[in-house]
Amino acid sequence: MKERIGVYICHCGGNISDYVDVERVRQAVENDRGVVLAKTTVFACSDSNQNDMVDDIKKHNLDGVIVASCSPKLHLATFRSVTERGDLNKYTYVHTNIREQASWAHSDDKIGATEKAILLVKAAIAKSRYAEPLYPNQFEAEKTIAVIGAGISGMKAAVSLSDKNTSVILIEKENKVGGHTATWGPLAMSDEKGSDLSHRIYSDLLQRDNVTVLTGSEVISSKGSIGNFTLKVRKRAQQAGDPVETMEFNVGSVVVATGFDPYLPKAGEFGFSSYENVITLPDFKHLIDSFSGKYLEYRGKRINRIAYIYCVGSRQVDGENRYCSRYCCTSVIHAAIQAKKKFKEIYNFHFNRGIRTYGKQELLYAESLQQGDIYLQSFEDAPPQVYAENGKTKVKIKDVLTKEKELEIEADLVVLVTGMVPRADNSIGTMFKLPKGRDKFFNEVHMKLRPVETVIDGITIAGTCQGPKNIVESVNSALSAAAKSYSYISKGMLETEPIVAEVNTDLCAWCGKCAEACPFDAIGQKDVNGKQVAVINNSVCKGCGMCAPVCPPDAINLINYSSEEMMSMIEQLAGG
Amino acid sequence: MKKNAKILVFSTEKISDPAIDMAGLLKLHYPPTVYTITVPCSSGIKPSWILHAYEKGFDGVFIAADGSDCVFGESCTEKTGNVVSITHDKMKGTGIDPARLRMAAICSVCSESFVKQIRSFNDYLIKTLHA
Amino acid sequence: MNEEREVLNYDALVVGGGIAGGEAALNLANTGYKVLLVEKDRSLGGKMILLSKVFPTLDCSACITTPKVSEIARHKNITIFTESEVTAIVKKSENNFTAQITKKPRYVRVEDCTACQLCEKACPVSVRDEYQFGLIGRKAAFIPFSIANPKAAAIDIENCTLCGACEKVCPTHCIDFTMETKYYELHAKTVVLATGFNLFDPLLIPRYGYGQYKNVITSMQMEREIAPTRPFNTILRPGDGKVPDRIAYVLCTGSRDATVGNPICSQICCMYSIKQAQLLMGALPMADVTIYYINIRSFGKGFEEFYQQAKGMGVNFVKGKIGKIAEKENGDLILRYEDINEGVVREAEHDMVVLSVGVKSNPTVGKIFGRGELKLDPFNFVAQEDLLGSPSKTSIDGVFVAGTASAPMDIPDSILSAGSASSEAISYLIQHQEL
Repeated sequence: MKERIGVYICHCGGNISDYVDVERVRQAVENDRGVVLAKTTVFACSDSNQNDMVDDIKKHNLDGVIVASCSPKLHLATFRSVTERGDLNKYTYVHTNIREQASWAHSDDKIGATEKAILLVKAAIAKSRYAEPLYPNQFEAEKTIAVIGAGISGMKAAVSLSDKNTSVILIEKENKVGGHTATWGPLAMSDEKGSDLSHRIYSDLLQRDNVTVLTGSEVISSKGSIGNFTLKVRKRAQQAGDPVETMEFNVGSVVVATGFDPYLPKAGEFGFSSYENVITLPDFKHLIDSFSGKYLEYRGKRINRIAYIYCVGSRQVDGENRYCSRYCCTSVIHAAIQAKKKFKEIYNFHFNRGIRTYGKQELLYAESLQQGDIYLQSFEDAPPQVYAENGKTKVKIKDVLTKEKELEIEADLVVLVTGMVPRADNSIGTMFKLPKGRDKFFNEVHMKLRPVETVIDGITIAGTCQGPKNIVESVNSALSAAAKSYSYISKGMLETEPIVAEVNTDLCAWCGKCAEACPFDAIGQKDVNGKQVAVINNSVCKGCGMCAPVCPPDAINLINYSSEEMMSMIEQLAGG
Repeated sequence: MKKNAKILVFSTEKISDPAIDMAGLLKLHYPPTVYTITVPCSSGIKPSWILHAYEKGFDGVFIAADGSDCVFGESCTEKTGNVVSITHDKMKGTGIDPARLRMAAICSVCSESFVKQIRSFNDYLIKTLHA
Repeated sequence: MNEEREVLNYDALVVGGGIAGGEAALNLANTGYKVLLVEKDRSLGGKMILLSKVFPTLDCSACITTPKVSEIARHKNITIFTESEVTAIVKKSENNFTAQITKKPRYVRVEDCTACQLCEKACPVSVRDEYQFGLIGRKAAFIPFSIANPKAAAIDIENCTLCGACEKVCPTHCIDFTMETKYYELHAKTVVLATGFNLFDPLLIPRYGYGQYKNVITSMQMEREIAPTRPFNTILRPGDGKVPDRIAYVLCTGSRDATVGNPICSQICCMYSIKQAQLLMGALPMADVTIYYINIRSFGKGFEEFYQQAKGMGVNFVKGKIGKIAEKENGDLILRYEDINEGVVREAEHDMVVLSVGVKSNPTVGKIFGRGELKLDPFNFVAQEDLLGSPSKTSIDGVFVAGTASAPMDIPDSILSAGSASSEAISYLIQHQEL
């Protein structure tokens, strides 16, 4: 039991102290049993405070350290490392969240927030008294890395990993690589063709000995965890009569780069499916990339007047997709410029909700205006309407830019600027248990501190599967994800998660219920002093705790989540 | 009359606790008499802990479960359900209203759902215990 | 060069100690490479460490920056030079760069300084504090700011009167006026440029009255007023110290504006203005905040929701670019603009105006290499030679660019860009070590 605990209560620069009276919290706990030091600090995570903590541990001979600050997601690792520098076992460190779960959640009740913070810190002290040092096992990590998805992000991640002398398995569901990018012609901001860009990256990949590219292949199952995933991959038969191949790979980390789906408008949405000359942006792009001729034609009809309707499937007020799809304003304006340059007598009408050509992409907006494109902006509560009249397709809008004038354009072609949505096929997400954000794309752990990592250790995410973005942004995210996955395995040795179950062999009467409950087959039987008891295989045990509640004599506890510890915390939270 | 009920929440490290954090981030307010203990997985919660909570004065216990998102596999849902039903039996045996234990799957971004559930649980507890 | 130069050998040189440079240095160091991180200012952290909160999560900026900076400072593979500039990089061959580094004297022995602030108290000289963007003053012997790293005093020798008062009171005798500029020659195998950006100087738009009207400030000044380590106890307008209640934001100050030579969009101003507006609504519940905009560019993850949230909080959004600002006798300001939704020219009165200044390139980066060797784009950002295929590659093989040195971008994009640049730098090092 700990007898020399140090407690640090963070102001978080006001984020906590603006609502929680941190000095009162300090006073409430400084005389608790086992506490020898209780301090407040403006930024617990700052360099100077971290150094002070190390000094305190040594000077006061602390055997337990608690920081009450922000969510453990941010700085659990930071403070564990501080305790290590003070020569304590890092698993004795206890963290409590009095920011997201006290000051912020109860910013409407400062007294309540302070009272809660006091109890949360007292519970942390109770936990700290029981916190045991843990010694994780080391194991050798698999050096190979799997990349799922061979679009632009997946391919670049594979190139980057290959450069670092890492073996890569690049797995692609379709029969071709290159994803969406490979299907496009000239791209915005560079005018290189998407097919050329994809081709040159793929050619580079083919020359590398350490990259295996599997097309027409899907990951059908995954077992294991960071440093040691076993993936089963099924390769589709290339021709009728060919066998279906199933392969197994052991990899240390996985980069998920499964991309996006384009939004598919509903029937009737801005005339989609109702009129044959209403198409989506991807289809428009393919049309102008591939069509050759002086004048643009679609389904045999000459196209002169094109109406673009922005934000279809994005920024929905009533729909599910509240987010902005980020890439579309730039892409459609680039396509409009391309169309006007390539074909004669094109007139572009942009029905938008505010143009978002951010950064240097703004120049495309200027170019489009220079070439005579007309921009009309709708009010947020009155989207443009598409309808047919006398055999012609018309688009009507109440225009913000001309003082609410109602304008009507006759359009030969209506292009719906569709956004990005997450892949309908979520098999990879389900298989790896990747949580999704509010926009339903895969969620990173922290946008700034850990932008390519997921809560599943060893799985990184790259490209548009994390959220809408353009090619430059996708490549940056892919290279960052590759670097992160590489960092997991590059040191060679990894540590197992030391939270495991432990059996009190005195109480155990071997009934087998724990072994039955364990989803990982980590519990076996063995003879201890003539008695058959349960035994935990520490290198397989994942620390989920499913075995603990089912034990009739209550002989199993999860380390650092023991009954004694939990009940002690509950007592403190109840008010002592 | 006491304004708010004392509720103990068991959250899970990777799934429901991030949602509870996000509720704080988004300033979605709920009563400050709601306290959270984080565990690796909701299926590892022992019924004895829940009963101990009632003994020590908690009005209600809420299990913010992993649901189908659980990183440890599909059996979590069933096992968490078992923990709840075993505890319910014990509660009935000792005369504690089983409605004082609630469980719901809270995904990692289900902050609004969490706050709604907690508020409604709080209302129920105030009505039945402190009316 | 007549000065004696100490020769240094490192695997990687990272120029710039802001968030991008820091992230790149960490990635290289964690992979096992020895990194020299050169920062021209007195502290790491760049602009990010001086911000209040970051969008769209409203995490406190210091909370995110300080532990990163701490990790960098402690890393055994990273050596940090502050108050230092890289003056000439020459590429001898692949994997072989030589750089000249000038380290200006701080006049304080950092290892011995305890940041007790006694020198600050004793110093008789007061000048404008550049870390608070001119809002308040500081002494000539001073600690740059409370969360600076290294957290140690420095002597601003330009303004110092050499009276010696600081030396007399320093308990560890770490002030040393005999320190001199040091010159180094660095041999490195790869270079990452992370020299950041400059904020647009609103003096270039005289009709906005910046510098003339006391209650027209820049967004960075407002950032400091809101930050936890703020100069005043609350938000005040500089003219008379009154707490404002009708605050206006002028978006696109110096961006999307060919008349001041910057036709591109600065990418971050819409979002940082909305962020500040939300924080102001929280700090000054009685205040009205109005944002005058052309387009609101809330394009990133969580941005659109953040924008809608601000609307819900009562922030006013008026579509109309501000044409001109005039001052009243009491210090209030009159903003003249065309209200696009209404189609009329209007004038609105506010008691404080914040100019949302844009992102300009940092011209020093062009001077680091020989003339013309490092290609710049038309806006003097570092040119990205293979923009779509390898965004961090520059016109010189082995030299990579990270963060806003290449283009306007926000913090998450800077971090990913740094991840990309360090990933390419690591690949470059591994590929060339075998040749």
